[in-house]
Amino acid sequence: MENSPVRTERIERVLELRRQRPRSWFLRVSWLIALAMIAWAWASSGPLLGRLSAERRRQNFLNFCGELVPSPVQKSGNWLEAFPWAWELLAEDGFIALLITVGIATAAIILAGAFVLPLLPLASRQLARPGPFGVWPGRGGRIGRIWWRLIGPATRFGFVLCRAIPEYLIAFLLLSLIGAHRGTGEFRYENAWPLVLALAIHNLGILGRLWGEVVENADGAAPTHGIASGGSRSGVYATRVLPAGFNRFLIYFFYRWETCVKDATVLGMLGLLTLGKLIALSKGFFWDEMFFYILLGSAVILVGDLFSTYLRKRLR
Amino acid sequence: MSAHVGLPRSLAGRLGARRWVVVGIAITFLICAWSLGLTPAGLVPPDARHWERTGNFFAAALSPAMDYQDPDTPDDANPIWLKGLLGLFHTLRYAFGAMSIAIPLALVMGFLGASAWWPERRGPLLGVLLRGVFITCRFVMSLARSIHELIWALLLLSAFGMSPLAGMMALALPFSGTLGKVFSELIDEEAREAAQALQAVGHGPIQTFLVGIFPGALPNLITYSFYRFECALRSSAVLGFVGIETIGLYIQLSHEEFFYHEVWTYLYFLLALIVIVDLWSAGIRRHLNPATEWRTVR
Repeated sequence: MENSPVRTERIERVLELRRQRPRSWFLRVSWLIALAMIAWAWASSGPLLGRLSAERRRQNFLNFCGELVPSPVQKSGNWLEAFPWAWELLAEDGFIALLITVGIATAAIILAGAFVLPLLPLASRQLARPGPFGVWPGRGGRIGRIWWRLIGPATRFGFVLCRAIPEYLIAFLLLSLIGAHRGTGEFRYENAWPLVLALAIHNLGILGRLWGEVVENADGAAPTHGIASGGSRSGVYATRVLPAGFNRFLIYFFYRWETCVKDATVLGMLGLLTLGKLIALSKGFFWDEMFFYILLGSAVILVGDLFSTYLRKRLR
Repeated sequence: MSAHVGLPRSLAGRLGARRWVVVGIAITFLICAWSLGLTPAGLVPPDARHWERTGNFFAAALSPAMDYQDPDTPDDANPIWLKGLLGLFHTLRYAFGAMSIAIPLALVMGFLGASAWWPERRGPLLGVLLRGVFITCRFVMSLARSIHELIWALLLLSAFGMSPLAGMMALALPFSGTLGKVFSELIDEEAREAAQALQAVGHGPIQTFLVGIFPGALPNLITYSFYRFECALRSSAVLGFVGIETIGLYIQLSHEEFFYHEVWTYLYFLLALIVIVDLWSAGIRRHLNPATEWRTVR
């Protein structure tokens, strides 16, 4: 059976197919680089577990876990006492911080969307070129042609730059530049703009890419017709491209909103407004409170996650 | 636009005019802006000191530091470009280390959190068991990703002390949650015909999965992993803010000393790295030519 001619011929054909499979040197080099970097990352990190002895580490860990238990429970051992404790934390700061977190995320993502919408036609590979959708518009001089050749790559690169810098870094820089507080004395309040702007700038880049892909993958028949019958780029964008992609835009919009809620929580660790502020303030002194705020934050994120998943399913 | 007779009405159809959605979003923004106190005055520096600082910061963008601004820098310190490069290497190291933990974890979780490989004919007991595993797995993944990587870092560093592994795990845990969720969704979205044919001629569920489903989903899994790697790189830079030695730490330290020229040097280094990785990842996407690109949300 093993050596029957039919069998070998079949194996030969399989081997032939294998030889003919598409191969790309780019991918091969990429795998090599990635594997080499991973090996290097593990080999070069020094002592992986740090310099503490195993016993010391175990002790630290157990102490830490003990500190996470709510303080009234630590004293009495009765978990029922955790409820009034949690309620007090929630009523005192937690609930407000939670609302502010969601508010900052919402404001930021809407702001980002509002800025991306008018930029999309400038970033589109079909619209932002001398002949949109391959149709010669029949007007525009040399300067116009150069402008339309350059503006597409420039806008797309702008998006890349916006999403390249982590929002936490932008927020950190903005806080010291435009200030964390406004007003004086009694009317002093924390300025939410640095956090909102940081999230908005980063998400401008991401929505620009996601929405740009929607526009690029959409059916080109209607807009081509619009251009061919004399429509302008902006007109075709507003009446053909935008309505057709609207649902998919919303899907990405809610997906990014959900990540914004998560990031807004953490931005507070820079020292103001959101749940992260409470986490940062209680860190090191009241570990139990810090853990409560962390759980509160992840509960909000879970709810936001469920809500946005539900909306996205309905929109699909 | 809206009232076409006889068309099926989806949610978007019922929401009717898209304009109401837009108006709703605009009103939501106004409510948020009002309750957060987002006035135009908050957008500009409040006083002369902050104005000067802002001016200095943006002026420094044009002349990033070629040498340390700190006069107290010891003479034998690395030149600043070398320090920046080393910062990038540390950043890359955490990102690669984290991804090499997160991807295997996510593959296991993605497999257990997918339903495509379930045997077609299964008894009620097996059905309940599979469903139990499925739900538990999904829950663990959402728990892992509902805590931000910075907070994971805070927790892990406090619990285990500062160590490279703790930093890598802080990135790896939430990333495996996200990767695992998307992996399982990509696996479930894969066409089932091949799998059904294999099961029909008597292959087991694991064989079916490995031969009929997984190879089809693989290009999507790879491109998505690369996208997440870009994210890991950004997060790794931010880990500098909790004291792990990545380029974020250098940026923070220089910024707090008002050495804006140094800040820009490091920022340009970081930008260059991220743009290069972005291009690399786009190249891989093009070469693999996956069916569903990274349109898959998340």
